[in-house]
Amino acid sequence: MTIPEASLSTHRILVCCGTGCLANGAWEVYQALRSSLQGQPASVHPVREAVATGCHGLCARGPFVRILPDDIVYCQVQAGDVAEIVASTLEGGPPIKRLLFRDAQTKQVLTRPEDFPFYRQQHKIVLRNVGEIDPTSLQDYLARGGYRSLEKALLMEPDDIINEVISAGLRGRGGGGFPTGVKWRACAQASGAPRYIICNGDEGDPGAFMDESVMEGDPHSVLEGMIIGARAVNASQGFIYVRDEYARSIICLQKAIEDARHAGFLGDRILNSDFSFDVELVRGGGAFVCGEETALMASIEGSIGEPRDKYRYPTESGLWGQPTLINNVETWANIPYILDKGAAHFASLGTAGSKGTKVFSVVGKAVHTGLVEVPMGSSLRHIIDDIAGGAPWGRQLKAVQIGGPSGGCIPEAMLDLEVDFDSLTGAGAMMGSGGIIVMDDRTCMVEVARYYMEFLAGESCGKCLPCREGIDYMLGILTRLCHGRGTEADLERLQDICTTLQAASLCNLGKTAPNPVLSTVKYFREEYLAHIQEHRCPAGICRDLTTFSIDPDLCNGCTLCLKFCPVDAIEGAAKQVHVIDQTRCIRCGECFEQCRQDAVVIGGR
Amino acid sequence: MKIVIDGREIEAQPESTILEAAQAAGIFIPTLCYHPAFGGQGHCRMCMVEVEPPLRLVASCAHPVFDGMIVRTTSPTLEKIRQTLVMLLYRRAPASELMGRLKADYLARAELWVKDPMESCILCRLCVNACQSLGPSAISASLRGTQKRVTTPYDEPSPDCIGCATCAHICPTGAIPVRVENGQRFIWNKSFELVHCPLCGEAFATREQLQYTAAKSQELAESPLCERCRRLEAAQHWGELPL
Repeated sequence: MTIPEASLSTHRILVCCGTGCLANGAWEVYQALRSSLQGQPASVHPVREAVATGCHGLCARGPFVRILPDDIVYCQVQAGDVAEIVASTLEGGPPIKRLLFRDAQTKQVLTRPEDFPFYRQQHKIVLRNVGEIDPTSLQDYLARGGYRSLEKALLMEPDDIINEVISAGLRGRGGGGFPTGVKWRACAQASGAPRYIICNGDEGDPGAFMDESVMEGDPHSVLEGMIIGARAVNASQGFIYVRDEYARSIICLQKAIEDARHAGFLGDRILNSDFSFDVELVRGGGAFVCGEETALMASIEGSIGEPRDKYRYPTESGLWGQPTLINNVETWANIPYILDKGAAHFASLGTAGSKGTKVFSVVGKAVHTGLVEVPMGSSLRHIIDDIAGGAPWGRQLKAVQIGGPSGGCIPEAMLDLEVDFDSLTGAGAMMGSGGIIVMDDRTCMVEVARYYMEFLAGESCGKCLPCREGIDYMLGILTRLCHGRGTEADLERLQDICTTLQAASLCNLGKTAPNPVLSTVKYFREEYLAHIQEHRCPAGICRDLTTFSIDPDLCNGCTLCLKFCPVDAIEGAAKQVHVIDQTRCIRCGECFEQCRQDAVVIGGR
Repeated sequence: MKIVIDGREIEAQPESTILEAAQAAGIFIPTLCYHPAFGGQGHCRMCMVEVEPPLRLVASCAHPVFDGMIVRTTSPTLEKIRQTLVMLLYRRAPASELMGRLKADYLARAELWVKDPMESCILCRLCVNACQSLGPSAISASLRGTQKRVTTPYDEPSPDCIGCATCAHICPTGAIPVRVENGQRFIWNKSFELVHCPLCGEAFATREQLQYTAAKSQELAESPLCERCRRLEAAQHWGELPL
């Protein structure tokens, strides 16, 4: 059986229906566009087709509409704009200026995505189809060369597939960075049948949505990767474990599985070969810890999602005690590309120890928050300043949190660090799944550490003592610090507990839980000391340790702060110096954010 | 296979854990959640030991032995870890006698703030294991993270609980309240009628418990005796047999 030929129409209007754009009304835009296009007589125009695609990446400016073949991109489109787009742009009129992308730094108005600094500096492998195709259409995936790698893999010896993945130098994108091919070989060599394949789609780091974008933007690439992996280790059954909050991922993956089955890419005797394999979708119950592979397997088995000691690897004894190959969504999506372009091509990108690209979700205090894919070894400064547009106007970049609750905070001074698995671990952070949270000078690092401990206190499974009690203990200390009741001995206590957690915790959630604390204490010790010794929060975030006042020499009486104060605590008339009534002030910092004269001053308790 | 624990070469059964091998050789490793009936659970981490090669820390109750393995059951690092673990656990369960004793043994610092001064459960989950293997699995560890606790489903009286109180008997800290009043046993928000021994009259078991064990052993005694009378009766029976 051969794969049918397919091609994409040239006159497509791509509407980004990633989760971010959907939340901003993208679906209404898509519906409006579709119904307008239905009314267009086909004889007049080349047939234009509206396509709901996955995430385009530049989430900060969504909903996105991209018109092909002219390649005009409109940002922040609402359903009300559709009539004008159809009447003007599709009729060959000039681009609608108010919908075009305006670069915040250069003030340039840009039309084509290849001119956007955001897109120009990216290198898309994992996201090669995301935003380009309709994720619910197998035809679209085939038109982009889909399932050709599977066809190739079926003609290869399983060992050759594994060797190809090993020489590509691909490392697990879920966070740990274990060499993927080596894991595959271990599974292929383990004895026992049946064997299982798992795709870990339980992405749960705060601020991370890379895997979600792949699952809901290009589900077939994940599926194709899994089938190739199954062929390499001779597995008969696969599972995709997706957290239940990812409603759209679940819909897209389910449709992809059904279409793939129908077309003969899944099931008995795939593409008339002697290889059979099927995939089942498992919806996770919302536990962060189920992203840990042994907990994930316990959850698939129907038990409580708690990790177990990994003295025998899943490749040897995994799901129901059988050899199991588990990889992350992004890892699987790399596989068809590697087989298609060859290991050497893939390995030509990246650093000595980390090959290929990495997808990052850039969120927080950056101008162009969104989804970014760059070669391994790109510096954090390049990602944040050049691609994501840096910190917003008037704010100073302070630190970057990378790797989720297992990762750490890297200070601004170290942003030239070339990002790969090893450099980040060396800096006390972690690649994690690739969530980057940009923090500016209005971020309190003690509060950041406290936030992560609070997150983990609720998300630790509670099975092993050090993680369950240690995180709670650290949360207690950090809460005290944020309220100005901490002592210097608390810093030693934190250090002690961190050592125990790293050494004695059962799984990696507990072993890496100290990273947010250790990295902030290491790089921002003076901020901790300001809380302890001076009862002052330098960022003006911890309310018990902050007062805002107005410097009379700088205030020009513009009344902006007065208008924004939610509790009417600011008094003053136009062109007269304003004063904050400390008894009424709730220390929200709104005045500080609004003041254009830098007249609002952060003080201690 | 041969392994070395604390400088002593011992013969270990393949497939056994480090803890089992040490116990068989009479070498002590501290544990809180281990019970010979259920094996290691890896919860309390008190049994962490140093293993070579390569040098690493592992939970001895879960790690299998391998030929040529060198194990150290104590070291300054391990003692520090155990001390911290005891401090953390004492903070959780200060009302238990066991934790008070361990705190003194390990010279653990008493924290200024404890979570709940009345709490005595150390979450070793021996009760859950006991209920799973001997009983109907009426209790389990519920919720997540710092909220984790042992309870019946939705904290409601469990329709599965047979009131056998095995959970309370195995609990090392007496954290599961069970009381007997007017011929009734109260446990897990449920009351059970106690059955009296037809010989001595002692209220020794709940009706549900007797039915459960009878169904399990497929032997239904007309009027079951208490353990003491059953032994006496058996002894008499054997005594009457001609030698």
